[in-house]
Amino acid sequence: MEDRIIQFIAGLRAAGVRVSLAESQDAIRATSHIDIAHRDLFRTALKTTLIKERADGAIFDKLFPLYFSSGGPPLTPSSDILSPDEQGLLRDALRALAGDLKDLIRRLLQGQNLSQEELEKWARRIGADRNRRPENVRYLTREMLRQMGMDDLVEQIEKLLGQLAQLGMSPAALGQLRELLEANAQAMAEQAQQYFGQSLARRLAEQPPDKPTVDELMDRPFDALSESEARELRREVVRLAARLRSRASLRQRKGSGPTFDAKTTIRANVRHGGIPFEMHWKKRRLKPRFALICDVSTSMRPVVDFLLRLIYEMQDQVGKARSFAFIDHIEEVTDEFTAARPEIAIPIVLRRLPPGYYSTDLGISLDQFVKDYGEAVDRRTTLIICGDGRNNYNNPRLDLIDFLKRRAKRMVWFNPESKYEWGTGDSDMLQYAPLMDAVHQVSNLRQLTEAVDRLFEGR
Amino acid sequence: MFNTTADVIEGLGKQQYIASGEIGTVLYLAERLNKPVLAEGPAGVGKTELAKAWAAAAGRELIRLQCYEGLDETKALYEWEYAKQMLYTQLLRDKLQVLLSDSQTLSQAADKIAAEDDVFFSQRFLLPRPLLKAVLSEKPVALLIDEIDRTDAEFEAFLLEVLSDFQVTVPEIGTLTANNQPLVLLTSNNTRELSEALKRRCVYLFIDYPTTEAELRVVRLKVPDLAPALAKQAVDFVQRLRRMDLKKSPSVSETLDWAKALVLLNAKSLDKETLETTLTILLKHEADVQRARLTLTRDDGGPRRGRSDPDVFDGNIRPLKRI
Repeated sequence: MEDRIIQFIAGLRAAGVRVSLAESQDAIRATSHIDIAHRDLFRTALKTTLIKERADGAIFDKLFPLYFSSGGPPLTPSSDILSPDEQGLLRDALRALAGDLKDLIRRLLQGQNLSQEELEKWARRIGADRNRRPENVRYLTREMLRQMGMDDLVEQIEKLLGQLAQLGMSPAALGQLRELLEANAQAMAEQAQQYFGQSLARRLAEQPPDKPTVDELMDRPFDALSESEARELRREVVRLAARLRSRASLRQRKGSGPTFDAKTTIRANVRHGGIPFEMHWKKRRLKPRFALICDVSTSMRPVVDFLLRLIYEMQDQVGKARSFAFIDHIEEVTDEFTAARPEIAIPIVLRRLPPGYYSTDLGISLDQFVKDYGEAVDRRTTLIICGDGRNNYNNPRLDLIDFLKRRAKRMVWFNPESKYEWGTGDSDMLQYAPLMDAVHQVSNLRQLTEAVDRLFEGR
Repeated sequence: MFNTTADVIEGLGKQQYIASGEIGTVLYLAERLNKPVLAEGPAGVGKTELAKAWAAAAGRELIRLQCYEGLDETKALYEWEYAKQMLYTQLLRDKLQVLLSDSQTLSQAADKIAAEDDVFFSQRFLLPRPLLKAVLSEKPVALLIDEIDRTDAEFEAFLLEVLSDFQVTVPEIGTLTANNQPLVLLTSNNTRELSEALKRRCVYLFIDYPTTEAELRVVRLKVPDLAPALAKQAVDFVQRLRRMDLKKSPSVSETLDWAKALVLLNAKSLDKETLETTLTILLKHEADVQRARLTLTRDDGGPRRGRSDPDVFDGNIRPLKRI
């Protein structure tokens, strides 16, 4: 059993779940405390020790049956339910139908289980030995059964039962025989499915599928990411944020401010009999404050998604972050983020502001921002505008940018477009750029991370 | 010590906590493996309640540490009682003079004081905070570290020593090890990612909003005065609210408050007027209340069945092409 669990853990790791050595030890220790014949208990024991993140639960649920299943129910031979007389009748019927019946129905009557060799042969034949996707298992099983003749099975059973009825078998026995054949067909399907599933799982564990490395993905533009790659990167954001967070907190640590910290000094000097040898100063922990104004029109969504994720993963290093989303008008979305993790909050926000067509208007949105949420910007706030500066030829309202700039500590623009595209078409970027304290191009995650890191620099 | 998973569930049941098989298994294993439990889930699904019930079922005292931003060792672990130390030094001054009177040299006097300095750096002057209390307790205790996701990352790192070895280091005294392994439950509302190191040391439990059946059982247990038919209606209604896209979904504790309110108001059925007056017990945001009212008038009550709920989002955001 231990080997199986270790294989299972290898499979989990290959599927992208982080399982440490200590956790696998815990899992094995946990199984020794419970009755492993009890499937639910066993499952919970493994899950609670191995899976520490809710999102990984789905992977666990998918892989668990591939590793821990009995190999499918055995088939029952028809001799178990038929009397010797009825077996005689069955033999006669089979002889009469000799040419018309396929091997499959004979197998089902005899209750012959699929052997390991047969399964391997079938796997090669239908290409299951090269399969890499769990969702294909069901299809492959169907394909194998089809090739074995499962499609004609109903017809053949009817034929056989008809023959048996002619030979004088009782209706009760016929009914039993029909049930047995159907149950056996079902059992055979399950055997095949479990075999395909388990062999797939082992293959996945042995050689994880080659995906582009996270490093490559970091350099890829946001709009060239597939959904699965984006998902991969979103996981990465958590770790990036952890790194940025420690950098940010180290930076804050460095400056020791001028305020005397009486409490800590007394506490530290108890060992000197209360004579203050070591002085302690209150650490200046001026965390930056942010106000984010994000363009959430369709072209900007991937960038905004990652930006908001990064900022809110770093919440404990940020004094206060208020976020606003706009397309043709602006709305505050801070509450969504303080109430829930970014993966929940972002879809809610994106759905609250449905994209229109060619309706982006920063000018109107800024006007509304100054009127309704002006208090969000003060002299400690860094104002971040994330957008492509494409205004659909609406008024860019540079006067408002100027107004906000005088009020804010810094004003930074994040633009996913490359510099060459600024000013082309309806882009007002060249007009906005000179008014900013900094403009960062953020077309991929690496650039975005660097840009966010820079936000925490200085004070 | 519980012997089986079923024992745990039964024990919790006696404390009026209805536990699923999963909760039972996780708590049972946590005790066997001597590991803390990390319970995550939305606010108000009974994580804190679980800790209370677990402590009571195991017959232990519950020590609670409520986390918040800026929580540090002095508030979570221990603090020297400086004032008390000073007071003792003053009061014992005469005694000290007697002790030192017969010493001939300075070094002799110093040696004598050195022999006594344990008096001033002993547990006598240590003001234990929840964590130290849990470690030092003579009787076995249960420790609840509530809302760990609110603390800073530094405090989380500091917790690691306590959680893996159940020991605490006080520089002036040494390392104090727990007399009895406490049962530890950490709760998190999942507002930020916890560190891998912390998660590794815990067994993990995710508690989600209960199913209609489970919630109905909770309501029947905790508010037995509510008529069964009305309880069913109320739970159905709450479940429906949870499927809506609200700023804050009603939690189980809010369902219970509402149920109690319905009993107090002597409500016979969930008619429009009762709903209007009591909706604010379930929903705490004005926008949510408006929204719920709108939906109520739109399809005139009764749980919707058979069609997909447009308020449920499938959770995928696809990167879309530039427009």
